[in-house]
Parts: sequence; C-alpha cells; structure tokens
Amino acid sequence: MAKSTKSRSDKGVERWQPQGSYLRAWLADHARVASDTTLFVSQRMLSSLLVWLMVGVALTLPGLLWIAHSNLQTFSEQWQGNAGLTVYMKLTASDAAVADMAEGLRQRVNIARVEVTTPEQALQQMLAQSGDSEFLRQALVAVETNPLPASFAVVPDSGASFLALEALRRQLLAESGVDDVVIETTWLERLRDLSDLVSRVGAGLSIMLLLSAVMVVFASVRIAIESRLGELRVLALIGATPAQMRRPFLYFGSAYGLGGGFVAIMLIAVFLNQIEAPLLSLAVSYQVGVQIAGFNPAFLLVMLLLGWVLGVLGALLALSQRSPSA
Amino acid sequence: MSFLQLQHVSRRFDNGSRGLANVSVSIEQGSMVFLTGHSGAGKSTLLKMLIGAEQPTSGRVLVDGSDVSQLGSKQMPWYRRQVGVVLQDHNLLEDRSVFDNVALPLRITHLRSKDVERRVRGALSTVDLSDKGHLFPRHLSTGEQQRVGIARAVVNRPRIILADEPTGNLDPYLSRQVITLFHQFRDLGSTVLVASHDIDLIKDQGCRILHLSQGELVQDTANSEQASD
Repeated sequence: MAKSTKSRSDKGVERWQPQGSYLRAWLADHARVASDTTLFVSQRMLSSLLVWLMVGVALTLPGLLWIAHSNLQTFSEQWQGNAGLTVYMKLTASDAAVADMAEGLRQRVNIARVEVTTPEQALQQMLAQSGDSEFLRQALVAVETNPLPASFAVVPDSGASFLALEALRRQLLAESGVDDVVIETTWLERLRDLSDLVSRVGAGLSIMLLLSAVMVVFASVRIAIESRLGELRVLALIGATPAQMRRPFLYFGSAYGLGGGFVAIMLIAVFLNQIEAPLLSLAVSYQVGVQIAGFNPAFLLVMLLLGWVLGVLGALLALSQRSPSA
Repeated sequence: MSFLQLQHVSRRFDNGSRGLANVSVSIEQGSMVFLTGHSGAGKSTLLKMLIGAEQPTSGRVLVDGSDVSQLGSKQMPWYRRQVGVVLQDHNLLEDRSVFDNVALPLRITHLRSKDVERRVRGALSTVDLSDKGHLFPRHLSTGEQQRVGIARAVVNRPRIILADEPTGNLDPYLSRQVITLFHQFRDLGSTVLVASHDIDLIKDQGCRILHLSQGELVQDTANSEQASD
C-alpha cells in the first residue's frame, strides 16, 4: 500500500516540472530582468549616482596604485642602463697603474665619463661621511697606512643595457691591478624598495577599499530587497523560482559595480591628467623621459570587471543575509 | 480519484496554538467549494497548506496525487504556477499598471509578448476591466482592485483557484459579482476553493460548504446531503 502511494506521489511530483525550452526561458528572463533593472536604477537616479560615486571612489585608489606600481617598474627598467660601475683597484696598484687604467677607460667607445677617486680622496670622503669621527681617526692612525684603494666611477653611454654593463664588468675584472668591479645598483634597490613599499601599503589599502565597495553594494541591495519584499511575496505565490527572485538583485549589484567601475575610470583619468604636467616637468629636470603608462584598454576592462565582481559579491552577500522566499 | 485531498491533516504552531486538527476532506476536480468559519478557525491555514506555504505537523496534503509538502524547491514554483491565489488585500504592486500586475504570472513563464497581451486582455475582459489596463492600482476602487487580483490569479489558466476572503472588503453587490466570476472559472474547468466567513453570501450558491471551527472540520454539506439522502 505504501509502495503504491509513493509511486503515485512521485508521478505527481514529475508533473510539476519546467516545460518548453529552458535556455529560451532563461534568456527571456535575463532580458526581462535587465529591462526592469534599467528602469529601477533610472527611477532612483540620485541614489544610484551616490552608490556609483561611493563604489567609484573606493575603486579609484587601487586603480591609481596599480598604475603607480606599473610605472615605477617601467621606470626602474628604463634606468638600469644608466646605472654605472665602480672599479676598485688593488691596494698595491701604483699611481702609474691607476693613471693607465683611467686613460684606458676613457678611450673605450661605450664609456661616457670616468671619475677617479684617489685613496686620499676616498679617505677624506669617508671621514666627512662619518662626521669627522675621532674614533675613526685613531683607528686610521693605528693601521698606519691608508686602507682604501683608488677607484673609478664609470658611467657608460646612456641606453646601455644591464647585460652590456655585466659584460663590461667582466672585461674590467680581467685587467691587471683591478681588485673588484661593482655595478652600482644602490639607487635601483632603493627604487625597488619604494616600489615594494607602495605595493604592500597599496595592497592593504586596496583590500580595505574594495571591501568597502562590497559593503556599499551590500547595503544598497539589502535596501532594494527590503523595499521589494511585497513584490517578492507575490512572485513566490505565483510561482517564480528562487533564481528568478534573486536575479533582479544580482543585476542591481552588477549595475552598481559596473557604474562604480566607470566612475573610477573617470576619476583616474582626471587625476592622471592633473599630475601629468608637473610629473613631466620633474622628469625633465632629472633628464629622464617619462610617459605615464598603464591607462590602457586592458586597464579599463579590468576596472569594469573588478567593479562588476565586487557588485555581484555585495549582492550575493545581501541575498545570503535576506534571501527572498515565500 | 479526488483532485484535492487532505488526509488527517493537523497543524500546530510554534506558540502551541492549533491551526488544524485531524482534518480529512476530498474535493473533486472542477468543483467549487466554500470554506467557512470564524476568524482563526483554520481557513487560511488550510489554504496556505494547499499553496505550499505551510507544512502540516502531521497528515498529508495531496493535489492530483502529489504530496504538496514533499515538493522540493525546484518543483514548488511549477506547482504554484498551476494555482491561482486571490487574497483579501489583493497584494497588487503599486508601482505597476493594472496590465503589468495581471501579466506578472505570464512574464515569469516567458510567454511571447503577443501571447501575454492577448491573455491579459482576455483576463481583464472577464473581470470587466478592459478599459483600466493602463491605470495604476491606486486609481481603482477597492472592488476593482479585487477584480484585478482575480484577473492575475486566473490569467495563467490555473487548475486550482484558492481565494482567501476575496469579498472581505466588498459590499454585497460586488461580493456577488466576485462569486459569479468564480463560478465562471469553475465552469471553465478550474477547481475553486473559496474561504469566506460571509454565510449569507455563500449559502445560496449551491456549492459544497466545509465549516471549520477551532481547526476542526465540524460540518461538510456533502456529507450532510449524503446523510439526509
């Protein structure tokens, strides 16, 4: 008896199934919801603008930091060729050997400038940098001889690559009287440190701001759900599926996110436009060619995509908190 | 076989109060039945169970052989598309026109626009509101709003129509009009179950009456007639 009741019940359940083309129905529903969302957003233009602005501002800083980071990287890559070398002579090298080396370096075609630092000059510089330390003076007296070698600051032609510098370093190391050759990368390391700092601080700030964008969309979609509870009850009564009831709010989230992404792009464009002139002026004073890179179609696409993802995340969060149901 | 069946259905709420107590009843397809009783008698609870909005504490609610309480979240929407619901407070969407309110059940089923238009016009014509499609609910009288709610319930040509106090806010003349509409839908093949406490209105309709009191089915005119026969 129980078996026959169950089979009858199962047959009944099968009766309440979707009919017709699911894909066509799905597409039609998306078209309907897109149209409704456009209407909903346009009917609440002021509040929609505020949401877009808040999401846009939250997306602007991460976008700017991304551009700053990518430009710093490009900047350091461009400047690698101008880094230069320092050639340290052996302590036993005679003055004549130092002079011959200087002359040999100056005659090389790929070297723009050679500056000689004698052991005496090096000692004076070290004392000056130590603040004329008495302890250092006493130490020097104790060793009786100058422990510093003669050295050359070698500046290659502009545009020399890092590989060319490395080749030059190997050649000079093979010269007699040369103790060591160092590619000067201190400033590059500083630049990389700065870039790293910008990345780390930026990443932390960006995460916080992106979270705030999600929260803004969450709050807005939550309000939208609350304002449409009556409609949702009706939809549940007349047989709307859970997906059909959730869909409008996912579209709201998408609209808010995409709009925020668009606002962020506009704000970044204005900001870059404002700093371009003073930045170029600064670059000219350092005799460096600078062009702001990164604000390209791929970046714009990423900003819109990021905005959309954050919007959908905010909407999903709101729906998980207040899921429309019967 | 009965189309709607309640088998020993009881419903006890979380606060301990009794919604229904061991109610068993069978209703044939294409019939019109009135459900009557005082406020709190269990009329709305019974209707909610048939919609799938309430679950019985014990017993089974069968519709065309399906146990409604066993329908999953995937089947429930398709089941509800076969049920037209009319409520006392209409539940019309104030920001949508009469036409759009009536079209709502069709829009979620993805009918073509021209089919939606044809069927909404037909439903509005049935409730005598052909010229009010462009208006918003706030522009209509209470009786007209109730008729819009009825048009929305029947536009999908449901197999079952459940009405919870559909004449509660209407004067006697409009109430009779609404009941006449339900007779028309019954004649078209729908099974109609109307909850009402207006005994004067329903006693002369020639339909079966189920009387509930404190959650119990205390009178079923079908059984009374059988007994008198």
